[in-house]
Amino acid sequence: MPLPKAAIDFVNENAESNGANDPGRVDDLFKMGALDSFALVDFVTVLEEHCGIQVPDADVNPANFRTLEVIERYVASRRAEQ
Amino acid sequence: MKTFITGSGAFLPDHVVDNEDLVDRLGIDAERIFKSSGIRSRRWAGRETTTSSLANRALGRALADAGITSAAVDYLLFGTMTPDRFIPGSAPAVQKAMALREIPCLDIRAACCNALYALQVASALVTAGAAGRVAICLAEIQSRFLDLTPESATLSMLFGDGAAALIVSAEAGPKALEIVDVLLATDGSYVDDLGIRSPGTEFGSSRSHDVENRTDFAPRMNGQSVILQASRRMVAGCRALLERNQLSAENVRWIVPHQANANLLAQVARGLGLTNGAAEMINVLEEYGNTSSASMGIALDTLRRSSKIRAGDYLLLPAFAAGFTWGAALLRS
Repeated sequence: MPLPKAAIDFVNENAESNGANDPGRVDDLFKMGALDSFALVDFVTVLEEHCGIQVPDADVNPANFRTLEVIERYVASRRAEQ
Repeated sequence: MKTFITGSGAFLPDHVVDNEDLVDRLGIDAERIFKSSGIRSRRWAGRETTTSSLANRALGRALADAGITSAAVDYLLFGTMTPDRFIPGSAPAVQKAMALREIPCLDIRAACCNALYALQVASALVTAGAAGRVAICLAEIQSRFLDLTPESATLSMLFGDGAAALIVSAEAGPKALEIVDVLLATDGSYVDDLGIRSPGTEFGSSRSHDVENRTDFAPRMNGQSVILQASRRMVAGCRALLERNQLSAENVRWIVPHQANANLLAQVARGLGLTNGAAEMINVLEEYGNTSSASMGIALDTLRRSSKIRAGDYLLLPAFAAGFTWGAALLRS
């Protein structure tokens, strides 16, 4: 299931503010500047609000949010568990 | 029984170390240090200074502020991660130097959460009748342990030396702050993401270490993990503390956080919804850097001496530390 518009917009706006292009599905969001540690905290809040999931503190690490594709899989797994 | 902070004091070494002073050794631009941390300078103690000697100066000021003498103190807590000696703790050194009676003296090892743990223990001691007046010393000399090379630049640029002291008792006074509640929590899964490994039984002592493992004696930090966990756990801790006291962030007038990193504190303020200006965050980070155990006490003393606190104001004191352990205290004037 694709990510909601609010999540995509967040990533794109953050990338733009860091001088990066809109990320593709498999681009490393941290390497290209679309996310950093501080932005990830806010991004997780966006996901929780718009995807109807709760992200446990232990899951808040870059490995779960490395690319848009990885994020889609993570959101799907959380939905399945909840 | 209600308990109160009836006195506070702080002491900073004279020697100022600006970001510019670190550029050559750390190989990092002065402005980059400020942008990534919010720090412009810090104080470093001289080689002859001990951590307890900084604490003595702060405690003297706290006793004067509370209007009591050292003879009135009947329990001493000392929070530090840079003690005078490995054993015993630094509290006995303060007991001797400040001519305290032969009272219990206890060191606390909860790093940057030392102020919160000390407040919770002090309040409990007074409430239980085990002590009438508890003195809390919070002090660090971190400059002595920093690796001043480019490899450790992002860590070593943060830390300063300093001390604070608080007096806790059941006696309400005109400037007293009631200790309403303290919330603390720990998740030991992150024990290796922030801290110093040695000396200890897990990684060894200086005798058992070879040259390759000398870094076990230096501070280590997984910055990404600290930021991610601190941002969420501090906000969650503050919310839980406020909720169990039937309050919300809108009721808070002053935020007096552990002075870790300006970007992290801004994130916490956003997380708590404190961006409308109703609550003011006390910042001594820019001038003094991250003084770990001492930072919250220094910030609180700065606020108390500013005379800005009004009757009925709520103060929220969040912190996050190695462990990871985190939490917050709620005070009321």
